Amino acid sequence: MPTYNLYMGCSVPANYPNYEAATLKVAEALGMELIYMDGVGCCGSPNLRAIDYFGWLVVNARTLAIAEKNGHDIVTPCNGCFGSLKDVLYHLKHDKEDMKKVNDELKKYGLELKGNVRVRHVVEAMYTDIGIEAIKAKVTRPLDGVKIAVHYGCHILRPKDVTEINPENLDDLLRATGATVVEYPLWKQCCGATVLPVNEELAIRLAHDKLKSMKEAGAEFAMVICPACGNQLDLQQFGIKDTYGVEFNLPVLFYPQILALAMGMSEDEVGLEMNRVPADPILSHFVE
Amino acid sequence: MAETKDKIDPPVTLVEPIDMSRLDSSFRKEIQSMPDGNELNACFACSTCTAACPIANQWTYKPHQLIRMILLGMREEVLSSKEIWECLTCFQCQERCPQNVRVTDILFDCKNLAAEEGKVPDSIKGLAKELIEKGQLYVITADWEREDLDLEPEVPGMSTDEFREILKATRTGKIVGGE
Repeated sequence: MPTYNLYMGCSVPANYPNYEAATLKVAEALGMELIYMDGVGCCGSPNLRAIDYFGWLVVNARTLAIAEKNGHDIVTPCNGCFGSLKDVLYHLKHDKEDMKKVNDELKKYGLELKGNVRVRHVVEAMYTDIGIEAIKAKVTRPLDGVKIAVHYGCHILRPKDVTEINPENLDDLLRATGATVVEYPLWKQCCGATVLPVNEELAIRLAHDKLKSMKEAGAEFAMVICPACGNQLDLQQFGIKDTYGVEFNLPVLFYPQILALAMGMSEDEVGLEMNRVPADPILSHFVE
Repeated sequence: MAETKDKIDPPVTLVEPIDMSRLDSSFRKEIQSMPDGNELNACFACSTCTAACPIANQWTYKPHQLIRMILLGMREEVLSSKEIWECLTCFQCQERCPQNVRVTDILFDCKNLAAEEGKVPDSIKGLAKELIEKGQLYVITADWEREDLDLEPEVPGMSTDEFREILKATRTGKIVGGE
């Protein structure tokens, strides 16, 4: 059984326990052993990178070093954590001087980073280590081809030399549930989460543009794999209603929720009622 | 030469002249010495980055202009700009740059330089304070929601002490302490 360091971050457990629960249940059903990492903190997010580059390096290097010690890959369900950990590892592997400086700090905590650990998004690990065929074999009630738009999220796609993720793999994962992947013009565009603290109006505009593009392309649901993107596309539909008077009424689900339901798990098990825009219309699309 | 009575306005595309005495020629080197500044000089201002940016339409300084301003040494203007803080960090500009200029990463470098001088928007300062005090950006408030889903009320293994200790000693501590 493949075993992983589970790095949960702070946003998923605080804001989207439904995503956390669905991830754990799907992983268990797929035969992936996810072990919560011991003694780890927050990744600091791009906001920490913006104001305190060195501090951001050290806190994330600490997480990487803890994972390296026990020998398993890190998996995370958050694009923000994924981006921070991946970026820090990439930088330190290419900058020996900073690696030394960071390790001088880590020594105080009895840790050392060599740079051998691998950082992965949990759904990429499902794709690569379990595989589409094995996932399909677990799908007991597939979706009826319902149109779902995938929002990949910036920090999983870019910079590509750092993230090493192929967006088509996410499409394949969604198709494995029986859904149809909707192509839409703004598929690469940002959800606006990062700008929320400094310019809310702009953040709402970006979420609006994104949802409009999905809806116009015929999407009946949206899929996300990041709590910040989830927040912007799901909860922010209420902000969009206040600002633009537009109601998209587009339910947003996390990938493991969709997969868990297709595997026959119940809506309670994946916390479907916690999705802000009511997501239960998806239940009518599963073919028993 | 034909004469005209009408005074000809300067073309609308003409930008404000740059005051040479205010340029800081070391700014370019400063950014270049930072982690992502290697390819900075390769920018030929094609503005592909600006075309890729989803919010450049509402910026006074567009991404390609910000890079040009760095090359020219307009340190004060760049580090005081609202643009660097509104950057979505979506990496679209960087991904499409034909010259491999790491545009988004360079804007991160600029924010770090601004932060070193204490120029941090209040909302971001607030987030820094959260990080130092709580050791995380989001704290669990509804543990009953977690229990309904058979999750532990707190995240297993989560520990914020060392995270806070590290950041207190780096620039985050300085930014928050200087409140």
